[in-house]
Amino acid sequence: MRRPLYVYRYKLLQLALLLCVTGVCVGAPSVSGTVTGPDGKAVADAVVFVQAPVPPAAKAPAGQIVDQIDKTFVPGLLPIVVGTSVRFPNHDQIHHHVYSFSPTKTFELPLYKGEEAPAVLFDKVGVVKIGCNIHDWMAGIILVLPTAHFAVTDAAGRFVLEDLAAGTYTLAAWHALSKLKPEDTAQSVEVGRDAANVTFKLPLAAARPRPAMHGSRAEP
Amino acid sequence: MPVRYGWCILLLCAFASPAQAQYDLEQPSSVWLRALVDVRLAGGGPAPSWTDHGRGKLRYGGSTESGDRVTRLALSQAALQVGAALPWDIRAQVQLNVEPDIADGYHPWLVEATLRKEWGEQKRGWGAQGGVMNVPFSLENVGPAWTPEFTISASALDSWLWEDMSLAGLEAEWWRTSRSGFRFDAMLGAGYGGDQIGRLLALRGWVLGDTLAGINGDEALPGRPDRTDIFNERDHKPTVYGWLSVEDPAQIAALKVGLLDNEGDESARAVWHTHFSTVALVLHPVAHVDVLAQFLDGTARVNAPPNDSSMSAWYTLVSYHYRQQRFSFRYDSFRVHDLDGGAAPSTSEHGHALTAAYLIQVGLRNRFALEYIWMSSHREAIGPLNPTPDGWQLSYRFRY
Repeated sequence: MRRPLYVYRYKLLQLALLLCVTGVCVGAPSVSGTVTGPDGKAVADAVVFVQAPVPPAAKAPAGQIVDQIDKTFVPGLLPIVVGTSVRFPNHDQIHHHVYSFSPTKTFELPLYKGEEAPAVLFDKVGVVKIGCNIHDWMAGIILVLPTAHFAVTDAAGRFVLEDLAAGTYTLAAWHALSKLKPEDTAQSVEVGRDAANVTFKLPLAAARPRPAMHGSRAEP
Repeated sequence: MPVRYGWCILLLCAFASPAQAQYDLEQPSSVWLRALVDVRLAGGGPAPSWTDHGRGKLRYGGSTESGDRVTRLALSQAALQVGAALPWDIRAQVQLNVEPDIADGYHPWLVEATLRKEWGEQKRGWGAQGGVMNVPFSLENVGPAWTPEFTISASALDSWLWEDMSLAGLEAEWWRTSRSGFRFDAMLGAGYGGDQIGRLLALRGWVLGDTLAGINGDEALPGRPDRTDIFNERDHKPTVYGWLSVEDPAQIAALKVGLLDNEGDESARAVWHTHFSTVALVLHPVAHVDVLAQFLDGTARVNAPPNDSSMSAWYTLVSYHYRQQRFSFRYDSFRVHDLDGGAAPSTSEHGHALTAAYLIQVGLRNRFALEYIWMSSHREAIGPLNPTPDGWQLSYRFRY
C-alpha cells in the first residue's frame, strides 16, 4: 500500500530538525545581524568578524584580487585572513602606481596594462590603506583579520556569518569611518541550536573623500 | 611580588596598545599637498638658448658670452600642488611652478588654479571646470604636475601648447561609453588672456622644451631684449577651444581632434588673431608600447604692426615601457611660413628633431632620466648663422 505524501514530508521535517539540533546543519547561517549607526540607519561596508576565539584555519587561504578598473580599486574594501596573498592586476590602459605606507604592510607596485605584478603577501593583522601615486583619489582598504570568519554588511547593513561551530564567540565590527575601535564593539554570542542575531551600533566620522576625475584632465 | 605583578601589567599594556591600534585608519584629509623638484645636468650649444634671448632651440644652450658649449647644473623645475575636497564634491587644485631659467628668476608662476565638479561616473558623466588652466591638447604633458610623461622635453608641438597658453575661463566636458564600448569625450572651453597666442611662434619659432606656462609669466624672445607676456588680454574677446575624442572598447586606439581660436581683434594694436586645429592619435598596439602621433596646423595674424604667419608641426613618438623603465624615441617636424612678406623680419623657418630618452622610476619618489636631442633647423631671418643645436640632459626628479 502506498503511503500518503504528507508522511514523507513529516519524516523530512523530522530529519531536518534532528540535523539542526545536533549542529550538523552545514552551510546554514550561524550568526546574522545588522550594523547601524546610532540613529538606526544602516551601515554598509562594515566588517563583522570573530574576534575570539580564533577558530583554526581549515586550509591555506586562497589568493585574492584587488583590480584596477576605470581608475578605481575593485573591490574598494577587501577583508582577508592573515596569510593571504593579493594580486593587483591593472585593467586600465593607463599607468597606475599602487602603494601602501601602512605599518601593517608597506609596498609599492608600478603597474601597467599587460604586466603581471607579483602578488603581495599580507602576513600581519591590521588595516592596509592602498592608493595610487598618480591618481590621488584612488583609495582602497585591505583589512587583514586573524580569522577567516568575517562578513561585509550589505547596503541594508545586514551580515551573515556562516559555518561557525557551536560555541561562544566574541564578535567585533569594523568600519573605515568608525569612531569605535573593534575592541569597543565586541559582543559575546552563543552559537547553538537557535539562530543567533546581533546588532552593532557604530558611530561614523564624517569624511570628505577626494573627488574622482573621469574626464580628459584626469591623467596627471 | 606585587612589584613584579605591576611590571607585568605595564608590559602587557605596552604591548596591548599597538595591538589595539592595528585596526586604526587615518582619516583622509580634505586638503593635500604634493611637490616636485627636478634638477638637471644639461649640455647644449654652442648657440645660447632662447631662454637667454639666443637662437638655440633647446632649453639649455651655449654660453651667452663666449658662444661655447656649456654643461650646467640647474634647478629645472620646482612645483607645488595644493588640492582640496570642497563641499558638493568640488575639487580645488592650485599649482605653482618655479622655472628659474625660463622665468628669468625664482618668482613662482601660477600654472593652475581650478575648481572642478563632475557629475556621473567613468562610463558616463559630465564635468565643469573654471579658473586658470592650460588648453588640454597635449598628449605628452600627462605626467606628474603636467610634466612630459615619455621624455624630458616635449615635442615642438606640445612644447608650444604648454608654453604659450594660460587662460582664465570656464570649460565643460561630456563623456559617455556606448553599449558597444566606444568612449566619446567632448569638451568646450572659453577663457580670457590669449591675445598673444602665436606671437612666440612668429618671433621665435618652434622649440623643444618643458616650459609650463603660468598666468603671471613672460618668456624671452630671441635676438631682442624684451619678453612676451603669457597672459595678455586686450580686446576682451575670449579664446574658445573644443576637444573631441573617441576611444575603441579595447582601449587600443584613441583619436582626438582639437580646435582653438583666440578670436583676436586684428584691428586692435598688438592683438594676435591665432587659430589652429590639431589631430592626435594614441595607440597601444601591444603591451608595454605607447605610440603617439599629433599634427597641428594654423595661422597667427597681427595687423598693428603686420606680421602674419602660418604654422604647422607634427611628431611621432614610440615608447616602450616595462615596470619602472621607459625608452622613448620621437621624430619632430615643424615649420613656420611668413604670409605677408612685410617689412618685419621673415618669420619663416623649418626644421626637424630626433629625441631619444631613457627614464627609470626608483620607488614612489625618485625618477632618473637621460635624453639626447638631435636637431636641424633653418630660420630665414638669421641666414647663414642658423645654429644646428643638439643637447643632452640628465635629470633627477623627486616627487613628494
